[in-house]
Amino acid sequence: MAKDVIKNPIDPIYQFEITNYYTFGEIGGDGGAGTGIEFAFTNSALFMVLTVGLIASFLILSTRGRGLVPGRMQLLSEITYEFVANMVRTNAGTEGMKFFPFVFSLFMFILVANMFGMFPYFFTVTSQIVITAALALLVFGVVVVYGFYRNGLKFLGLFVPKGIHWVILLLVTPIEIISFLSRPLSLSLRLFGNMLAGHIVIKVFGGMTVALLSAGFWAPVAILPFVMIIAMTGLEFLVSALQAFVFAVLTCIYINDAIHPSH
Amino acid sequence: MARDKRSLRTSDLASRISKAKGKRGAVRFADKVRRNEMSGVGRAYRLATEFIAAIIVGAFLGWGIDSLLGTMPFGLITLLLIGFAAGVVNVVRAARDINAAAPIPDQTGPMADDDEDD
Repeated sequence: MAKDVIKNPIDPIYQFEITNYYTFGEIGGDGGAGTGIEFAFTNSALFMVLTVGLIASFLILSTRGRGLVPGRMQLLSEITYEFVANMVRTNAGTEGMKFFPFVFSLFMFILVANMFGMFPYFFTVTSQIVITAALALLVFGVVVVYGFYRNGLKFLGLFVPKGIHWVILLLVTPIEIISFLSRPLSLSLRLFGNMLAGHIVIKVFGGMTVALLSAGFWAPVAILPFVMIIAMTGLEFLVSALQAFVFAVLTCIYINDAIHPSH
Repeated sequence: MARDKRSLRTSDLASRISKAKGKRGAVRFADKVRRNEMSGVGRAYRLATEFIAAIIVGAFLGWGIDSLLGTMPFGLITLLLIGFAAGVVNVVRAARDINAAAPIPDQTGPMADDDEDD
């Protein structure tokens, strides 16, 4: 492997590289080095810890006063609470409020992780498919487990639309099953794709700016990709917030399916 | 007496707050965000992932069934086709959700007419 090529900071993929800060050890394998699953504290793990730490400390500190007339920071955390609570109520009904803590944690984690990713030199946790897939599978697991817990076998009614002739049902049921199974995939792919694509585009324009600046006579042209970086950064902030919102809304819709499995 | 008055004032404040909150603030912000999401790229991305995800899942299921039962191409072909159908179902549902969440914006122009036939 040409290590020095990969380590080139102008490379748009360089920002997604995982680096180990501290290796705990290996699990499994045949005892030889490099055969098991490596457990390490990476830059990705660091930023997940930072994300959770920021959310927790913000919420705890801002609501510590518990003023009847909220201060500025308390108002901010109350607005986020209201925002997510309204989202859960409109999409999953009042019964869905049981899952408010879950949706709120997901929303805040994705939002803050996305926003962290917008800082230069920061690692974007949500640009890793492992993370988004884990989140989506968590949602999927919650929906399936709660669906069966609450409705029993009636939960399978989700795959059998009512009022359809059984011949067509033979065709519709597999379609519904695949449609249901595709949810975690589309959920994780959307978040991952949006964050990955946006960050790569910004980095590509950044690389163009640097390359043009060193091009002598053509150096003034470097202003064009630089303007694009500014525009794309603005767009990325929007996309970061929207993807957190979309993820949370779809989670609510899926939870609604678990509560009311009939179409 | 003084305490009575104070608790009265507090409950009055609470009711005024809840009245003011009714349909404002967060809800309106949520509506705004939702409308934003559905413009252009966000809408395209949502529909595209819904479609592709179903196809991939169908293909993987078919491949899995085939390698379990040893019926190599047939499960893959059948479930890939069903996956396509599921993808179309997903897209139609997503489009219906999008339209329900936000009426068609005027900025998309003549293309917006396509969404109305569900």
